[in-house]
Amino acid sequence: MRVLRFVLRRLLQLVPVLLGVVILTFLLVRVLPGDPIKTILGPNASEADAAAARARFGLDQPLWQQFLDYLGGLVTGDFGTSIQSGGAVASEMAVRLGPTLELVVIALIIALVIATVLGIWSARRAGGAGDHTVRVGALVGNSVPEFWLGLVLILVVYSVLGWAPAPSGRVDPDTNLSLITGADLLDAALTANGPAFLSALHHLMLPVATLVIVIVAPLLRSVRASALEVLRSEAYTAAATHGLRDRLLLRGYLLRATLARLPALAALVFGFAIGSTVLIEYVFSWQGFGQWALRGLLFRDYPVVQASVLVIALLYVLVFLIADVVQAILDPRVRI
Amino acid sequence: MTLLAIEDLSVVIHGRGRQVAALSGVTLSVGSGEVVGLVGESGGGKSMVARSIVGLLPGGSQASGHVFFDGSDVLAMGRAELESFRGRGAAICFQNPRGALSPTRTVGRQLVDRLLTHQKLSPDQAREVAAELFESVGIRSPKRRLAAYPHELSGGMAQRVMISLATGCAPGLLIADEPTTGLDVTLTREILARFRQAADAEGRGVLLISHDLASIAEVCDRVVVLYAGTVVETGPVARVLTEPAHPYTRALLRSVPDLDGRPVAVTPGSMPLLREAPGSCPFAQRCTDSSERCTAERPMARLITGEWSTACFHPKTGSLAERVHGLDDIAHARHLEQAEYPLRIGEAPSGEPSGEIEAPGKAATTGGAPYRTEVVDAREVLRVEDAHVVYGSRFGGGGHHALRGVGLSVAAGETLGVVGESGCGKSTLARLMLGLQAPTRGRVEVAGRDLAKVRGAELRRLRTRVQLVFQDPIGSLSPRRTVADAIGEPLRAAGVPAAEREARVRAALERMELDASILERRPHELSGGQAQRVGIARALVGEPDLIVFDEPTSALDVTVQAQILKVIAEVTSDPSRGAVFISHDLATVRGFCDRVVVLYLGRIVEEGPVESVFGDPRHPYTRALLSSAPSLGRGFAGAGVTLTRDLEETDAARGCALAPRCPFSVPACAEREQELRDHGGSRVACHRAADIPGLIELIER
Amino acid sequence: MARTARTKERFASSLIVVGSAILITVVLAALFAPLLSSWGPEEIDPAASLAAPGGAHLLGTDLNGMDVWSRVLYAARLDLGVAVASVALAVVAGSLIGLVAGYRGGLLDDALMRVLDIFQAFPTFILALAVAALLGGGVANLIAVVALVNAPAYARLVRAEVRAIRDLPFVEAARTSGSSTWSVLWRHVLPNSLTPVRVIAPLNCGWAMLTLAGLSFLGLGIPTPEAEWGAMISLGAGDVVAGRWWTSVPPGLCLLICVLGFSLLGEGLQERADSKRR
Repeated sequence: MRVLRFVLRRLLQLVPVLLGVVILTFLLVRVLPGDPIKTILGPNASEADAAAARARFGLDQPLWQQFLDYLGGLVTGDFGTSIQSGGAVASEMAVRLGPTLELVVIALIIALVIATVLGIWSARRAGGAGDHTVRVGALVGNSVPEFWLGLVLILVVYSVLGWAPAPSGRVDPDTNLSLITGADLLDAALTANGPAFLSALHHLMLPVATLVIVIVAPLLRSVRASALEVLRSEAYTAAATHGLRDRLLLRGYLLRATLARLPALAALVFGFAIGSTVLIEYVFSWQGFGQWALRGLLFRDYPVVQASVLVIALLYVLVFLIADVVQAILDPRVRI
Repeated sequence: MTLLAIEDLSVVIHGRGRQVAALSGVTLSVGSGEVVGLVGESGGGKSMVARSIVGLLPGGSQASGHVFFDGSDVLAMGRAELESFRGRGAAICFQNPRGALSPTRTVGRQLVDRLLTHQKLSPDQAREVAAELFESVGIRSPKRRLAAYPHELSGGMAQRVMISLATGCAPGLLIADEPTTGLDVTLTREILARFRQAADAEGRGVLLISHDLASIAEVCDRVVVLYAGTVVETGPVARVLTEPAHPYTRALLRSVPDLDGRPVAVTPGSMPLLREAPGSCPFAQRCTDSSERCTAERPMARLITGEWSTACFHPKTGSLAERVHGLDDIAHARHLEQAEYPLRIGEAPSGEPSGEIEAPGKAATTGGAPYRTEVVDAREVLRVEDAHVVYGSRFGGGGHHALRGVGLSVAAGETLGVVGESGCGKSTLARLMLGLQAPTRGRVEVAGRDLAKVRGAELRRLRTRVQLVFQDPIGSLSPRRTVADAIGEPLRAAGVPAAEREARVRAALERMELDASILERRPHELSGGQAQRVGIARALVGEPDLIVFDEPTSALDVTVQAQILKVIAEVTSDPSRGAVFISHDLATVRGFCDRVVVLYLGRIVEEGPVESVFGDPRHPYTRALLSSAPSLGRGFAGAGVTLTRDLEETDAARGCALAPRCPFSVPACAEREQELRDHGGSRVACHRAADIPGLIELIER
Repeated sequence: MARTARTKERFASSLIVVGSAILITVVLAALFAPLLSSWGPEEIDPAASLAAPGGAHLLGTDLNGMDVWSRVLYAARLDLGVAVASVALAVVAGSLIGLVAGYRGGLLDDALMRVLDIFQAFPTFILALAVAALLGGGVANLIAVVALVNAPAYARLVRAEVRAIRDLPFVEAARTSGSSTWSVLWRHVLPNSLTPVRVIAPLNCGWAMLTLAGLSFLGLGIPTPEAEWGAMISLGAGDVVAGRWWTSVPPGLCLLICVLGFSLLGEGLQERADSKRR
C-alpha cells in the first residue's frame, strides 16, 4: 500500500518534468536550423510545393496552435504522422522499441549478474593479484568505444572465425517469424517458433556481448567499492569477530548490504546502455529504436523527434522510479 | 581462575612511511567472574589490546608476545581455530553500537545468527532465547524489538542490543570497548551494571575499556592503566583510585574535575606517539619526579603488594585526596609549572561568588560601569527572552521543538553554565546566541540590540561581539587554511590592516601559550589540544563582549581537558566580558561558573548560583543528574533521585516535560506547564519543589 | 593483511604513473606528428585506395587513399583538445551553479535543480546526440555540446558538497567571525567542495573523448576529411565485413588507449584520495 502511494506520488511529480521535456523539444526542434520539408521535397521544389507540404503537416499554423494540437494528440496517444515516411509515428515506434529493449534488458541482466559475482569476489581479495586484474579489466571495459568493439567482434567472430551471422538483421528471414512485439526472442517464444528462437539468439550474441562488456565495467566497479565498504564496516567486523561462519556472513551480512547501494547506479547504467545501443544498432544494422530516432533527428522529422525524445525520457525516469522501489525493498533505512 | 593472560604483547604498525609502536610489552590478565578495567587516554593502546585478543589486528601490523586464552595462544592460531575461538572464546561489544549492527538485517535475526552459531539450539528455541536475552538487558517488549532494524533504535537501545549480541555468543570473556560513549549519565550506570552482572551471575570474565576511570570504577575489580602502549600501573580498583602509585595515574585522576568542586591539577604536554618500543619511561617528559634514570632506562613493572604493581622508579605513596592540599605538591607546582589551580576552593555558604584565587578580576565585576541599572549592576552583554526554536519540516506541520521559551541574560564579567543531557537544546541555544539560528518566537539581544532588527554589514559587526568556541576543535578550523589565517579571520573581516593583524594574532597565540611556529600549520597537523587553543585564540582576538563555549573539552583527552579548562578559566576571569559555558558534564561547569542553568527538553528547569544548584538542587531532574554523575571524589553529597525511564521513551506533549520520568509526579504535573519560581537562591520549574526533600526521605525510609 | 596498506599505495601509484605515461606519449605523438609521418593528414595518394599496410603507407590507406598512420597521429590533437576543453568548461560552469545553488538554497536552488532535472531525464549520450544533431557538427559546437551534457553532473556534485560543508563548524566559525558571504564562499566553502571534482574530472575527460568519437561515428561530429578517430572508424566500418582491419582497428585502438590513460589516472587519484581519508 505504501509502495503504491509512493509510486503514485512519484508519477505525479514526473508530470512537470515530462511537460518541460515536451515544451523544450517542441521549441528547440523548430528554433534550431534545418527544415524537414526541404529534406522530403529535395532542393528543386517550388515555393508552392513547399507551402502545400507545409499545410499538409500543419506547419503553416501559428506555433501555439501547433503545440496545442500536438498536446491534444498526446493525450489520446496520437504521436502524429512522420514527415519522412507518412506513417503513424505511434505504430512505427512500437515496432522499433521491442528489439532495442530486448537488447538492453538482456545485456543489463547478464551484466548485473557478472558484476555482482565478480565484484564481491574481487572485494574479498582486495589488494591481491586477482583483485588488481579485475580492476584493470574493468578500467579497460570502461575505456573501450562500444562501436569499435562491435566492429572488432564482427571482424574476429564473423569475418575470421565465421561463428556469428552477418551483421545485418535480427533473425533469419527463412524462419518466418511473425511479428508481435518486435522483440524477436519473445515473439519466437510466444509463437513457439523453435528455429526463429535459435536464430534470434544467434543474432543477439555479438551485440549483447558488446553491450555487456561496456556496461559491466561501471557496475563492477561499484559493486566492488560497495562490497569493500561493507567488508570494512564495523557491522561486518562485529559479525565476523562474533565468530559467524563464512556462508552466513556472505549471505546475511554482505550481499544485501552491498546490493542495497546499487539500484540508483543500475538505473544510470540503463541510461548509459540506451546511449550505447544507438551506436551498437548502427554497427549491427539492428533496425531498432535508436536508428529510427537518429534518422528522425537527421531529417528534422518533427513528430519523430518529439516522440522519441519523450519516450526516452519517460523510460529513463520510470527506470529510476523502479530503482527507488527496489532500493527501498533492499535497504530498510530508506523510507518511501 | 585465569581466563585470559596477555604476556609481553607488542604490536608495531607499519604505515605509509612511518611506523607506530602501538603496544610495547603489555602484560595483563582477566579471570572468570572478574571485571577488569582498561583505562588511559586515546593513543594509549586500549583498543589495540582488545583487537589483539580476538585476532583482529589492522593491516600492516606485527605482533609479538602471547595472548593466552584458556591456555592456547590466540596469536598462533590458524584461520579455522581462530574462527571457532571468536565469539565463543571472547566477544566484543563495540564502541559505536549503531555502526556495529548490520543495517540491513533485523536485530532479532542478528542475535539468532549468533545463538545458532555458538549454541546448540533449534531455530525456534533460538528465537525464544533471543527474546529472553533482550529482556535481560532491559529491553521492553522484546518480541516486538526483535523485528526492528538497527536504525529504528535509540543509542541506548542499540547499546543494549549490542550487549545481547555479545553475550548471545556465550563467550568466556566479554570485551566492552567504551560501551557508554555518547550515552547520558543515567543510562551509563545501567549499562555498566549489566557487565557486573555478566561477571557475577554468568561467571564471565569482563574487560571493560574506557578513557574515563571515574565512570567504570564502580563496577571493576581491578584496573590496568595504559600509557603510550605500556602498562604503567595495575591493581585493585580501590587502591589505584585512592592512592595511585604511578605519577601518570595520579595526573590522570587529578585532571578530572569533580562534582565536589575539588581542585584540578594540570599536567603539561601530551602523550608521545612512539615509533618503537620505548627505551626509557614514556612519561618521563611530563613527570615532576623524573630523574636521570627515568630517561636512561625503561622501568619494568614492580610489585607493590599482592596484585598491585607499577612501572615506575619512584612510585608514590599516600592518598590522592590528602596530597591535594599537601605542601610538597604546592612547592612542586611553583617549581615545575605543574600548576594546581584551585578553580574554587572555599565553600561559599550563601552562593555569593567568592574565594577565587586565580581570578582576582572577578571581584571588580560588580563595580563595572553600569550600562543598565535594572536587575544587575554590570553591563548586560546578552539577553534572551522567551526564545522558541522550531526546526520545521519543510512543508510545515510537525517539526522539532528544540527550545520552548528560554529566557536568560549574561552580564559582563559573569560566567553562565548551561547543562543538560543530549537533545535538551544546548547546542540550539548556543546557535541562537551567535545569531546562527533565528528564534521562531522571542528575541535575542546582543549588547542591547535585537539581532533580528539589524541587517547586512551592521549585523555582521554585531555578530562579532559574540564569539563561539566549538565542540570539535579540528572541525571548526578550515581544512585548507593555516592557523594564522584562522586566528586572523575576525580581524580580516573587520578590516584590520595586515601588519596590525599579525601582531594581534601573535599576541593571542602567546596568551594561549602556543609557539609561533604553529602559525603556518594546517588543522590536520594539530593535536586536539592545540586546535582548541587556536579556537579560543580566534574567539579572543577580536575582543568580543561574550564568548560561548559549546562543550569545548568533550572531544579532548582528560589531561588535555584539564589544560584547556585552565585556559578557559583564565579567559572567563576577564571582567570586561561575559561567558557562557555549555556542557553535559556537570563537574566541569561547577569549576568556574557563577550561575548555572539546567535545561531539559528545551526548557529551563532550574536556574541559580552555582553553589546552591549543585549543593542544594531543588528540581528532581537536577538532583537526578547530579546523583547519577560519576565521581572519584565525594561526588554529590545529597540524596539521589533515579528517573524511571529513558529519555527516548518519553515525549512531552503537555504539562511538565519530566512528568513521565519523574518518580514524584502526580496527575497535576501532566496538566499544566511549570513556570520558573523562586526557591531559596534559585528559580525552579516544579510545583512540588518545596516538598521534594521530604518525599525523598519518605522513599529512602 | 600485513601488506594491504602498502600494496594499496603502490597500486595507486602505478595506476597514476602508467596513466600519465600513456597521456604524455599521446600528447607527444600528437605534437610531433609531422616528424613521425611522411604524409599529411588530408593528403590523398591517388595511386592507393584501401592499400594494405606496408610499403609507402605504414598502416595502409583508407577508401579515399589517405594515409591511416598519419591521420591517426593528427587526430589525437583534435580528440584530446576537444575533450579537455569541454570538461574544463563543464567544471567551471557546473561548479559555479552548484556553489550558488547549494549555499543560497531556497527558491533559486529549487529553480536551478528543476532545470537540471529536465537535463537528467535523459541519458547523457542521448542528450549529446540530440543536441549535436540539432546544432550541427564542428569543433566549437562539439565542445559546447559535451560541456552542456556534463555540467549538470558537476553542478549536482558541488551542490551536494556545499550543502554538506555549509553547516560544518568551520564555516559557522567563519560566519561568526563576521566574514561576508562571498569571503566565506571563496575562502572556505569552495576550496573544500572541489575535492570530488578533482578526482572525477580526469575520468570525465575519457568519457568526453568517447562521446565525441561516438558522435563523429554517427556522422554528427567532425566532418571528413578532417582527421578524427570516430569518423575514421566510421569510414572503415564497411571494410570489416570484408576482413580489411586496418582502416578501423588502429584509430579505435588509439582511442581506447587514450581513454584508458585518463581512466587509470582517475582511478589512481581516487584510490589515493581514499587511502588519505582513512
